[in-house]
Parts: sequence; C-alpha cells; structure tokens
Amino acid sequence: MSTEYRPHSWPREGIVLGVFAVVVFAMPWWLTWIGGYEALATKIVIWAIFALGFDILLGFTGYLSFGHAAFFGTSGYVAGLMFLHYSESIIPALLACLVVSIVLALVLGFLTLRRTGIYFAILTLAFAQMLHAAALSIFQEWTGGDNGLTMSAQPNLFGLPMDGLNVFYLAAVLVVIGFAMARQIRRSPLGLMLRSIKENQMRLEYTGVNVMAYKMTAYLISAIYAGTAGWLMVVYEPYVATKFLHWSTSGEVVIMSVIGGVNTLIGPMIGAAFMMYFENVVQSEIGELWKLVLGAIFVLIVIFLPGGFVDGYNRVRKVLGQKVPSRRHNVPDSPESMRKLRERGRTAEAGRTD
Amino acid sequence: MTQTDSNFLLDVQGVSKRFSGLQALNNVTLQIPEGSVHAIIGPNGAGKSTLLNVLIGLIEADEGTVRFDGRELRGMKPHDIIQRGIARVFQTPQIFPALSLLENVAIARLAKRDGKFAIKCVENLGPGNEVSDEAAEILTEVGLGDHVYESAQNLARGDKRRLELAVCLAAHPKLLLLDEPTAGMSRHDTNRTVELLQRISERGMTKIVIEHDMHVVFSLAEQMTVLAQGQVIASGAPADVKGDPKVIEAYLGGGPKE
Amino acid sequence: MSVNDVFLQLVTGLQLGAIYALIALGLTLIFGTLGVVNFAHGALYVIAIYAAVVIGGQIGFWAAVILVPLLLFVVGILMERGIIQYFYDRPHTDQILVTFGLALVIEEGAKAIFGANNIPYPIPDWGTGQMLFYGTGATIPGVPRFEEMPQVWMPFIEGMLFYPSWRIILIAVSFLAIGGLFALLQFTRFGLVVRAGMRDSEMLRFLGINITARFAIVFGLGALIAGIAGVFGGPITQVTPDVGMHLLVPSFLVVVIGGMGSLPGALLSAMLLGMALSFSAEYSAVQQIVIYLVAVVVLLVRPRGLMGKKGVLE
Repeated sequence: MSTEYRPHSWPREGIVLGVFAVVVFAMPWWLTWIGGYEALATKIVIWAIFALGFDILLGFTGYLSFGHAAFFGTSGYVAGLMFLHYSESIIPALLACLVVSIVLALVLGFLTLRRTGIYFAILTLAFAQMLHAAALSIFQEWTGGDNGLTMSAQPNLFGLPMDGLNVFYLAAVLVVIGFAMARQIRRSPLGLMLRSIKENQMRLEYTGVNVMAYKMTAYLISAIYAGTAGWLMVVYEPYVATKFLHWSTSGEVVIMSVIGGVNTLIGPMIGAAFMMYFENVVQSEIGELWKLVLGAIFVLIVIFLPGGFVDGYNRVRKVLGQKVPSRRHNVPDSPESMRKLRERGRTAEAGRTD
Repeated sequence: MTQTDSNFLLDVQGVSKRFSGLQALNNVTLQIPEGSVHAIIGPNGAGKSTLLNVLIGLIEADEGTVRFDGRELRGMKPHDIIQRGIARVFQTPQIFPALSLLENVAIARLAKRDGKFAIKCVENLGPGNEVSDEAAEILTEVGLGDHVYESAQNLARGDKRRLELAVCLAAHPKLLLLDEPTAGMSRHDTNRTVELLQRISERGMTKIVIEHDMHVVFSLAEQMTVLAQGQVIASGAPADVKGDPKVIEAYLGGGPKE
Repeated sequence: MSVNDVFLQLVTGLQLGAIYALIALGLTLIFGTLGVVNFAHGALYVIAIYAAVVIGGQIGFWAAVILVPLLLFVVGILMERGIIQYFYDRPHTDQILVTFGLALVIEEGAKAIFGANNIPYPIPDWGTGQMLFYGTGATIPGVPRFEEMPQVWMPFIEGMLFYPSWRIILIAVSFLAIGGLFALLQFTRFGLVVRAGMRDSEMLRFLGINITARFAIVFGLGALIAGIAGVFGGPITQVTPDVGMHLLVPSFLVVVIGGMGSLPGALLSAMLLGMALSFSAEYSAVQQIVIYLVAVVVLLVRPRGLMGKKGVLE
C-alpha cells in the first residue's frame, strides 16, 4: 500500500485557511444562487462551529455524545439571561457562556467519560434530557418554560448592533478561527494523544498517559465550541427556544458530522451546510417530508459510506485516477528527510550507549 | 524518598491474589537488582501474567507489597506507575492500529517527555520535530525503519510485537516487562528479537521476561524464578534452577496440590 | 399521606414501571446477547401503537392483541437480518448511529402517514371504565353505575377508591409478559443458550452453537415485547410519533441503573423508577427530573448498577 504524504507547511496552511475564509465570507452571495438566503448563511456558520467542535470529540477520540445540546442550549439560556438582565453587549454574555459550558462539561464529563462509548452515548443523552426537563420544570422561572426567552432589544458589540450581516461576519470570523485552531490541535502532540484514545485506551494508559484527563480535554474543547455556537444562535435570533436543549438538537449535530465525514474537520461543516440547506430550502419543496428523506440519507450513509461526503469525494477521485493524500498526520514528509532519519537511526543503533 | 535503602530496583514481598476460588498468586516474593535480566517461567496458569499485571496496577493484590525504585506502588494509578519507569509488552500485542508506526512510537516519546498529561498544541509534529525524529530512530533500532508510515494494523503479528517493543523502549523505562516477547515468531524473528534484547541489556535496562522458549531464557536471563500454581518453587541462576527436582516435577505433572 | 394515597401511588408506580420494564427488558436482552445498543427500540414501540390503532380499528382489539406482537417479531427479525447483522463487526458507535437513523426514519415515517398529533386509540368497552377498590367502612350504594364496576376488596383501604381499569389491565398484562419471558429463558433450551450468550457469547461460538440464528430470534423477541407494550400502553402513553424517543431515554436509564445486560436488574430498576415518579408526583417540578436524580445517585453509589457485573463509573 503506497500512500502519498502531504507535508505540513505554513504557506500551504495559509492557502487552505485563505480559501476556506473566502468560501465562508462569500456564502451570503453564493448561497442565493442555489436557492438559499442571506440569513441561512448565518445559521450554517453557527452550526458549522458546533459541528467542528463535535468532531474534536467524535472524530478524534471516537466518543459519540448524544447530549451536546446540553452545552448549546445551556449557553443559549445563559446568553439570553445575560442580555435580558445584565447587558446587551455580547462580550459579557460570551464570557458567561464559556464559564458555564466549561463547568457543565466538567460535571457531565465526570459522570459520563469513565467507561466505553456505549455508556457514554446513553448517559450523555440522558443527562442532556435531564437539563431539558429541568428547564421546563424547576428552572421555569428563569427559562420561561415552553415559551422560551425573548429578547427585547438587539444585542450589540461595543455599540454596533448585532443584526443581519453583522452577526454573519462575527460568526464567520469565529468559524475561521475555530477551523485554524482545530487544524493546529490535530497536528500537535495533543491531537495525537486525542486520536490515540480511539485506537487503544489500554495501551495509552500503560504507556503512562492519563487517558481520563485527555478524554476530558477533548470533551471540554467540544463543549467550548458548542457553547460558542449556542451563544451565537441567541445573538442571531434574539430568542431562546427549549428545542436548543432537546435531544433532537444533539441528534442534528450527530447527523451533520456523520453525513459530512467524521475525523475530517471540514466534513462536519459541510454536513452542517447540507443539513441547514435541506431544512430551509428543500423543506419549501417537499414540506415536512424533508426529515424523512434526511433520515433515510443518514441511514444509507452510515451503512454504505461510513466516511461521509468527504470519503465519497475521495473515492470518486480515486476512481478518476487521482492520488488522494493520506489523512494521517504527524509524520515526516519527504523521502529526503526520511532517508536522513534512517541514517541517524543506524548510527544510533551502532553506537548507542544511552 | 527516591533513594532506596535496599539494592533492589523492584522488591515484591508476599504478594497474594485470589480470583473467586483460584489462588492465582500465593505469597510471591521477588527481588530484582538494578541492571539485571530476570526470567519468570512456569507452566500455563502458574500466575506469571497475573504477577506482571499486579506490578503495573492492572490488578490489585489482596496482600503484600510492591516497591519499585524505593516507592510502594499500591494505590497508584496505572499511568503513574508507568511514569515511574516501568514499561510492559503484553502477551497479545497492544498497539494503536489505525495510526502509523511513527505515531505509535511518538505517543510513548511524548508520554516520557511531557509526563502523563500536558496540553501541547502549539508544537507541530512532523519533519524536524524532535519527537518524530526520535520515534523514527527507535523504529529503525527494532528493525521497522522502512515502514514508519504504514498503519500499524497492516503489520504481521511478529512485527506488531516488535512495534510494541519500540513503543516500550521509547519511554526509556528503568524496568521493562516482557510477556512472551517471541511467542508466535519464526526462528529467524526470534533470534533477531533476542539479539535486540541483548543489545538493550548492554545499556543496563532492567528486564523481567516471561518466556516459554528456554533457548530465549538462557540467552537472556541472569536469574530466574519458577512459578507453579501461584507459588515460587525455585529461584536462582538458570543453570542451578534447571536441575532442581521441584521444577521438573512442576512441569511434568503433580506439583503442589490444587 | 393516608393509606389510600400510598396504595394509589403504589399502583401508579407499578403501572409506570411496567411500561419501562417492557421496553427496558427488550433493550437489555438485545444488549446482553448481541452487544448492540438499540436506539430504535422506542421506534419499535411506535410501530406497535400505530399497528394496534389500525388493526384494532379495522378488525378488532383482540386481533391487535395477537397480530401486533407477531408483526413486531417479524419486524425485529427483518431489522436484525436486513441491517443490524452487518454491524456486529463495526465499531459500537456505528451500531448506535444506524439504530438512531432507523429510529428517525420510523418516527418521521409515522409522522408522514398519521400526522404529528395524538390520534384516538380504540379501547374496547370493557377497558374504559374505573375499577373500584373498597375496604372497611365502605358502603357501596346500590346504584347500577357502581354495581357494574369490577370490585376488589382490600382490608386496609379506608372507604372506597377508584382507579382506571385499563391501567390495572396494563399492569396485569405486563407482569404476565415479563413472567413469560423469564420462564422462557429459565426453562427452555433456547433460553439456556440465550442466558449463556449473555454471559459469554464468544465461548458459545467456540462451542459450535449457532448463535447467529438465535440472535435474530432474540432481536425479534425484544421487538415482540415492545409490541405487547405498544398494544396495552398506547392508550396511556398517547399515540404520537415522538412517544418512542420519550420512552427510550428513561428506558436507557432503567437498563443502566439495573446493570447493563441484567434482566432482573432491569425489572427491579424499572419498578424503582416507576415508584420514584409516582411518589414524587406531589412535587411536580421535581417529578420531571426525579428519574435522572435517582440515576445519578445509583451510579455514584453503585457504579455497576443494581445487579450489573461491570460498572459504569469504574
């Protein structure tokens, strides 16, 4: 099996992020060509942030959370309450959302991360539903129960009203930063540790690594992304719905990640765009049936194309005879540097005393 | 605290372990001086692997103490025990299947360099990075230098063992535990592995080897302990143990009562 | 709380626990033998209630009682043979994803056919009334309305109590089904193999016992129990497409609290949660989250669940 390895280089990283930024920032325009509308771009970008963070958990560590609505929704409520009772400036609300997301992730992570993926999926689902139930019962005074929270005034950033395209640009800046950070994590030692969790936790523990701490780190990072997305959602439409906390929100981010392609970072964001497009544009064509069609697409992808759209794209390229770069990272690049390494290895082998 | 009052790197005193109805380890005492190579042999089910599992905290002993490098290990988390300088090659090779060989070894280098937990996300692994370079060196040393980009899952079984050995060596442990390092290997591969282990011994790394292949035991070990039904029935230099009637009895049947 | 209140809440707790038990037993049976966490188990319940409404409306209630569990048995086997069997060798997360996807498709399919709102369930006449419990000091007026009512004398009850007949029927049927399941597993060769499979399926495969075919039947059996739950539980849980997911989350908790893969544990914890729900009804705010609180406490105090072998927090 021969695979081509793509070296890491800063110029190339710059090009990738540059192209990504251009595509994202131009979205309000190109989306209208395919039947979308400006505000849909904002929604897509917000969900892309959510899905991107989710991929750091699911894609890297293999831990499938069915309760990430807990972070998205709780942040939504915290943002709403901050706007209503403290300040319409979005910065204090963001700080509050991040603090709450981190604390919540520490508590839920302690309860759910100890054992295998099966328990994790079940327990994250259950505890997120607990928060949903709590929002509708014991916290009803603050959450407004079924009615949700409606903001009276538009949130602002240092006096700049956060509406229309302003929200979009804010979200777009954040998704580009989020993407750059996720890529950096992936090629760093931290990323290698997180990706090894999916492979063999026992080997990792008996290599002297605190596996639980790394799992918690991945969970925290994904919670921070989810919390940021929840906060942005409330800035975008100054309203907090109980649906933000519902299991279907957790389910949506799972669906996005899987149909886009987990462990690819770009895939879940494409999945987010696809799903939002489906929900908003295709729905106007086929009505409520869109959910059934989307569910069927999801099942078919899980069965036949476990790598999602990105995997499908790579398969097509392979069929067309193009070389597909390996998805592995953290490896030396050129044959030249490998030759040097091997030589150094040989000398080490010969004269090593340690 | 780190300085030990005895000369032993590993000091196992009176360790017992019972699994519902089965006495897996019975009052096992084992003292390993620094720099030595110690073999543990015994018939199947004698408790050899259980003993190694107790040493690295995979199983908690019912009784007895394990002191490593002057420190009692009881109650420590497995990764803390490993961080103190123990590495273990398992009976079935434990590797990271979908990761490249280089990444497999890099993980162990990182665990050695950064400790049990560190958030390092500014550094880029890859060409010129010390961790990646060292990992490639170690892979070359165990004879896998030509395959560093391969997925570990594509390796033959013997090579997986060698990879796991590379992962263990990458941590530069004070004590290396080898659970049948040559099982399932061809004669040729076995000889290569023995050679490799001998070369490592020259650097003064302390090792405990569980092995069935007496050729391997005699080429490597300076001291050996014979376990049968959870008990130490003989120990000493290989040549002395070889003629011990109790050992012959243990292998040829009979042995202490069940 | 008077004796009467306690009695009423015990009965309510039994009734709530009975439905959870039926769903959770199917879940834990499938998990224990096949190692699959079936996120579509609630959706099987949805199929059952809609099938019961259709068959009950077209042919009659007794036809539904017989046909719906059989239909679900077939659906379960088709599901296992058609899709799930290809996922045994894939990671657990893929199994969860595919069953979750199936759950979505079934829920949305039901929505497309029957609409999102509750539709009436045709309860037979004999199940619509109230049941009368009476004890010391009760004088039952000699009016027809009372005389036609099924009556039970309970010595500790003060005066009279009414309880919906259908809920009593649900409790009775649930315990019959649960008893039948335990008897099947305890006294038949099939049950012996299944129980052995729950302990160590690899060993069974090694012994050359064809567990694959039996596994399909186990899946069908789990679905069949959900079918029974659907026929009798439909009037109480409502007939809506999203009821499956509403039941699934507490049922998962039942399974985890009971200990993954433990049938007696699932039964015990279902009753525990039913009682917790029933007795917290006075404090309606707490009632919404009481089962989660119970779950957290149990898992912190006893990580392996009530009767499980391997822990969740270990």
